[in-house]
Amino acid sequence: MKFWINFRRGFNMTKNAARMVLFLFVLNLLFALILAVPMYHSLKDSFGSSDVGEKMTEGFDILWWHEFQDQSEGLETTFTPFIIGKGSILNNLEMLVQMKLFSLPPVVLVFGIAYIILQTFLAGGILTTFSRKKQEFTLESFLRGAGRHFPRFFLLLLLSWLFFFGLAGNLNLWFGSVVAKTAENALSEIAPFYLSLVFSALILFLILLIKMIFDYARIILAADGERNTLRALGNAIRFVIKNPGATLSLFYAIFAVHLAVTVVYILLKELVPETQATGILIAFVIQQLFIFAVVGIRCWLYAGEIALYRYIPSDL
Amino acid sequence: MLRSIFPLGILLFGTLGAFPAVSEEALCDQIASYTMNVRLDPEKHLISGTEYLSWTNTSEKEAGELWFHLYWNAFQNNQSTFFQERARDGIPPPDFSIDDWGYCRIGSIRLVSHETKQEFDLTPFLEFRQPDDANVFDQTVAAVELPESLEPGESITLKIDFSARVPRPVSRTGVYRETYFIAQWFPKIGVYQNGNWNCHQYHAYSEYFADYGTYDVRITLPSSYVAGATGKRLEKKANSDGTTTHRFIQHSVHDFAWTASPYYLEFTEEFEFAPGKRTEITLLLQPYHRRLKDRYINAVKHAVRQASVRYGSYPYATITCVDPAYNSRSGGMEYPAFFTGGAHFLDRPGTGRPEGVTIHEFGHGYFYALVGSNEFENAWLDEGLTSFLDSEIYYAAYGEPFLFRRYFGIPVLFKDVTIPIELEDSSLISQWRRTWNMDRIQRYSWKFMNKESYVTNAYFKPELMLRTLQRYMGKEAFAAMIKEYSETWWFKHPRPEDFYAAVSRHAGEDMSWFLDQFIYKSEKLDYAVGSIRNAPRQALSGWLDGVFRQREPGLPEDPIYESEVTVRRLGGVRIPVEIQIFFEDGRETTITWDGQYRWKRYAFSGPAKIEKVLVDPDFKLVLDTNRTNNSRTLKAPKLAPLKWTSNWMLWLQHALEFLNLFGG
Repeated sequence: MKFWINFRRGFNMTKNAARMVLFLFVLNLLFALILAVPMYHSLKDSFGSSDVGEKMTEGFDILWWHEFQDQSEGLETTFTPFIIGKGSILNNLEMLVQMKLFSLPPVVLVFGIAYIILQTFLAGGILTTFSRKKQEFTLESFLRGAGRHFPRFFLLLLLSWLFFFGLAGNLNLWFGSVVAKTAENALSEIAPFYLSLVFSALILFLILLIKMIFDYARIILAADGERNTLRALGNAIRFVIKNPGATLSLFYAIFAVHLAVTVVYILLKELVPETQATGILIAFVIQQLFIFAVVGIRCWLYAGEIALYRYIPSDL
Repeated sequence: MLRSIFPLGILLFGTLGAFPAVSEEALCDQIASYTMNVRLDPEKHLISGTEYLSWTNTSEKEAGELWFHLYWNAFQNNQSTFFQERARDGIPPPDFSIDDWGYCRIGSIRLVSHETKQEFDLTPFLEFRQPDDANVFDQTVAAVELPESLEPGESITLKIDFSARVPRPVSRTGVYRETYFIAQWFPKIGVYQNGNWNCHQYHAYSEYFADYGTYDVRITLPSSYVAGATGKRLEKKANSDGTTTHRFIQHSVHDFAWTASPYYLEFTEEFEFAPGKRTEITLLLQPYHRRLKDRYINAVKHAVRQASVRYGSYPYATITCVDPAYNSRSGGMEYPAFFTGGAHFLDRPGTGRPEGVTIHEFGHGYFYALVGSNEFENAWLDEGLTSFLDSEIYYAAYGEPFLFRRYFGIPVLFKDVTIPIELEDSSLISQWRRTWNMDRIQRYSWKFMNKESYVTNAYFKPELMLRTLQRYMGKEAFAAMIKEYSETWWFKHPRPEDFYAAVSRHAGEDMSWFLDQFIYKSEKLDYAVGSIRNAPRQALSGWLDGVFRQREPGLPEDPIYESEVTVRRLGGVRIPVEIQIFFEDGRETTITWDGQYRWKRYAFSGPAKIEKVLVDPDFKLVLDTNRTNNSRTLKAPKLAPLKWTSNWMLWLQHALEFLNLFGG
């Protein structure tokens, strides 16, 4: 099976580029630390020298949190008990599928956009590394590749936003109105619930499909040497249409790995009591290993897609 | 004399079968009794029929006219007071077609029987009144002048032909698909007190007020409909035209509501809630909530069992709990011996749904139904006490519920976080914190600043006040007080001063200083630790009595510390508050501050420093808007901000990777 061969190839290529994965993970960590510092200070100031600090070490003081929430602004509004454990994952999934990005506080939204642009830049480096025979990672060649492809990748980014927010975003709104209309005349909450669930799955599928197509567009630009962005996009669409089984199977196989890793993380996190310094440190390490795995899976996807793209004879 | 209306009624109406063979003794004077025979036309959504109203003037003044509520006229046009007040809160009137509006119309009203008066057609003298806001488009109150005044103690019987069009659901009542929930649906006489009619218009944020009596109601419905109502079903008679007439009866209540739908699943069981005390529980359940049946019934059982101990033995023969239909807007509402819950088909145990709302609405059976609180003028005497009751019973029965949130409609529990009773539905204190300076508790319901203020001051602030009062008085004294208040005012109409009297009696002191601050004022309650200061005692250095002394440098081996703690009152509410002080050597002491002045300083000398101070350590002052400033410690743990920043950072890092889907 094409997808299985390239699923394994992609994993091996990622393994060979472990230093690159580590570099990307460190960037994610450093980026997050920029906002984590003010959040730390907000929490520290709020706990002050009260005994809330004791209570929040032992567990979660929801009385304190309501006070905090009632006076929080901006970044602080993102601190909720729903970020604990599985809540983080579910919050982000909901944000993605229900396209609630613009409900994020402006500072986080701007930060997120900056991260996206940074990753667009870095994608050139990732694809350059994976395009090589042995996936050697040196910072210099990585950044050179990133810089070389960035203008066209940035254009692709803007085009992808047309698809994401124009197509998927409007479809999401339309789905919402269909669900609301159904709910108006429904005999019970069940039909609108399932309809909403189906629509959410469709939106997720659409978002992932758009992402996959643009991945191949980037691959065509970086690995094939195509210089025309629009032609690369057109070729990517044709490639996916001609090879739906292989492309979707590869994508969802790696997505399944992502899901499995997420479940393992949630289960492991729940086992670690964070009432002492040791527990907090262990939990932090588990968290970072999870993010490292997520970054690695992202790279694995690119590697697998390059491998698949090269594996299938091109008639584009 | 009023109880004798029964034999009198039987004498007068024996041929009409208007009054029942009552199987139980009435529990109080039957002031406003209704015998109704109505028919539902499901094609036109129309209820039509006749009510015989037997009413007694219980005031000490004569009554020259009679006032009626016609609540459903609030739904007859978009300019009613009800819709205008909602519009002020940003809820526009609905865009109804001609078939969606509701109304309640009196066809005729006749004085049909009186010992000394003649029969008289009062219909030409019926006119609408707007006692609250002079809104001429509002026809929810009507009055009719009597040909002769009714003396104190005299009774009158009226025959009222009426029709009521069932509206599309807006609030609490209506028809959705084939499910009817019918409340406040008939011409209902107001309350005559001290020579005045207490009969307010239907407001957006108020509920109801009426006198007690017997309701004997025959409702003719399509035979496929399952029906439930206030009271016991005495009879169910199939008619030859495909309809069935259901007859329900209940004495000693001040309202009658009913529901009918072809979809209800009906479950009934006898329940012994105390030795020798039984009631019949009926659950009308939506088919898609079948798996919630036992949870609903168990919640009712917990409620009736505990409420009977705490607030008086439940006196009615029946309890009917209705699982409201989707979109019916009838959920979470109370009527005597009949109430609606509210559930979602995925509701999980431990979240408080549907148990919490079930217990709450049953609880209204005490402070709205048995204690005839005036929900227009003193909403808190019902909603506040009921909110307190439901949390006491829920938490005793089920413990603290888990925090939960719906993702894609699926409830996900966060079992590491439970909701303490002080927060109950999680928004209690937050809403109080946001709205404390808008209004005070005691206000006519429609005169609050907005809906949020009404909810805070009718429900949340009174509940928090009662919890604070409970902890101030002590649980036993408070429990005795509330039971006595409840049982004393069954079938009567208490005022705030009656509640004050009960509290003061059991507190052993005049408690108006406490209650006034919450009920008649809108002040914040906030006590805080101001500062902690520890300093080693200094030996004398300098001149004294002509002798110069030079202090030795450095600290003595076993220094004595001069320590001070300053506590502050940051809000307007003044209430005694406990201060607990912990020393580094393990000693602790608790002081009570009268909380009157803006601050107080306490000084200590001893071998150890003050390590920690807690203001209100036992969380008696539940209304304190800021509990974080109630404590201060010299050894603030450093781990908490690190721990939670780390957890938050995971969310952010993961979110950034998700956002990557939209980019590289």
